[in-house]
Amino acid sequence: MRLLRDPLSQNKTIVLGVAGTLGVLAMWELLIRSGAVSKPGLPVPTRVMAQAAELLGNTVFLNQVFTTIGEWLLGLGVAAIAGILVGGLMGAFPAVFVAFEYPVEAFRTLPSIAVGPILVLLLGAGVAPIAITVALSSIWPILLNTLYGVRGTDPTAVATARTLGVRPLGLLMQIRLVSALPFAFTGVRVAASIGLIVTVSAELLIGSGQGIGGYILLASTNAGNLDGVYAATIIAGVLGVLINAAFALLDRTAFNWKKGLAQ
Amino acid sequence: MTSATSTEQAIELELQSVSKSYGKNLAVKSITASIPQGKVSVIVGPSGCGKSTLLRIISGLDFPTQGSVTFNGAPVRGVPEGLAMVFQDYSRSLFPWMRVDRNIGFPLRHISADERRQRVQEAIDAVGLKGKEKLYPWQMSGGMQQRAAIARALASHPKLLLMDEPYASVDAQTRADLEDLLLDIHATLGVTVLVVTHDIDESIYLADHVIALSAPPSVVAETVEVDLPRPRNQISTKQDPRFVELRAHVTSLLRSH
Repeated sequence: MRLLRDPLSQNKTIVLGVAGTLGVLAMWELLIRSGAVSKPGLPVPTRVMAQAAELLGNTVFLNQVFTTIGEWLLGLGVAAIAGILVGGLMGAFPAVFVAFEYPVEAFRTLPSIAVGPILVLLLGAGVAPIAITVALSSIWPILLNTLYGVRGTDPTAVATARTLGVRPLGLLMQIRLVSALPFAFTGVRVAASIGLIVTVSAELLIGSGQGIGGYILLASTNAGNLDGVYAATIIAGVLGVLINAAFALLDRTAFNWKKGLAQ
Repeated sequence: MTSATSTEQAIELELQSVSKSYGKNLAVKSITASIPQGKVSVIVGPSGCGKSTLLRIISGLDFPTQGSVTFNGAPVRGVPEGLAMVFQDYSRSLFPWMRVDRNIGFPLRHISADERRQRVQEAIDAVGLKGKEKLYPWQMSGGMQQRAAIARALASHPKLLLMDEPYASVDAQTRADLEDLLLDIHATLGVTVLVVTHDIDESIYLADHVIALSAPPSVVAETVEVDLPRPRNQISTKQDPRFVELRAHVTSLLRSH
């Protein structure tokens, strides 16, 4: 007799997942096409898909995607370096932690996107204010994860390193930061997703018509090209999924050793 | 029972009225002991008697509240050269991001790669971990992890090998194997060994002399010379009437204080 909770085979899982997704899309399409739901501007799945396929073949649009990726990478890179540095120091030295605790808590709750217009005023429109906005929003998971990773370094590992002649700076760089790296990287993974959302939002709000956000803005205002808006939004979403998958892969290959961290 | 009068012996490590208190809590009260060069000394005492505190002080990780430690003729201030420590918790002591060979080579990071490779190999052979060089610590059993930790301690060619309850977290069979491994290494390399344990049988099986500590605040109850012949054997040594006698004596020391 089959158990109620027998695990499904991989093939079955794929088939069911695809069938479910297509089924929901087909029902949606049917609802709109049949006139059961009639409100102008609702996305029709087949038309959005067609538009998305067209956009992916369009070099002008692809350049916009690369612009978005560039701004995102720049912001995330700055956030990773600053977050690991400040988080590492805060985790290692109680004095640094106490000094920075309140500034971090205060800036963390600030909606970074609201700082965007000020940055544009200060720096002028372009890549810089967008990348800084991205960095401001994505630094926090990296900083906090590194902080707690460094602080949680196994005391036995530190004591061992001391008996093996490692000096205080070496303890920070070779032991505490290294053992915190998997945590810092988890922070980077979380930050990567947040950062992409913020990149596209910043392009919409403070951009100058560049990037995926810039395309969405132009498509929605100038031409009223709603299928284009939907298609670009979906492409941004898929980009996020791909980035997350790439980071997950990197996590498994570079930080496989974290299985050995005593919990 | 003979008390330690190792005047004819060269002294590797000297504890002079070492005491340690945490706040008002006196953990170790005035311990004086000499660890002779090239011998196996074992500190045995009930749980919580400050054995680990004592090892932390000897290894320079912690400082005594009073008294002094002299290693190799010089007072210990901070972690001294020529000393290697094996911790009880091997899984936390080995660095999980390094494969076995890099873990073992870590103390040798300042010497040339060629020489390092050779000494790592020697240490791996000494503890019987051939073929496991490229594994991560967590891919090995507890006993193999502790072998790796011992190999790392040996790789630096220490004068003094300190071991803090080194076999407390392994199963009985592995424990016996590792005890014999330690005796083999000692016989081959002649390194001075100081082991801390709560296990009376283990202390007598390993030691040239046993330093029995009282319950806290700890003092040395007695230093017992172990005159059992070497090489020792898990079965015959432990059946030796002298072994049984020594065990009864040390047990009574730990009870009566």
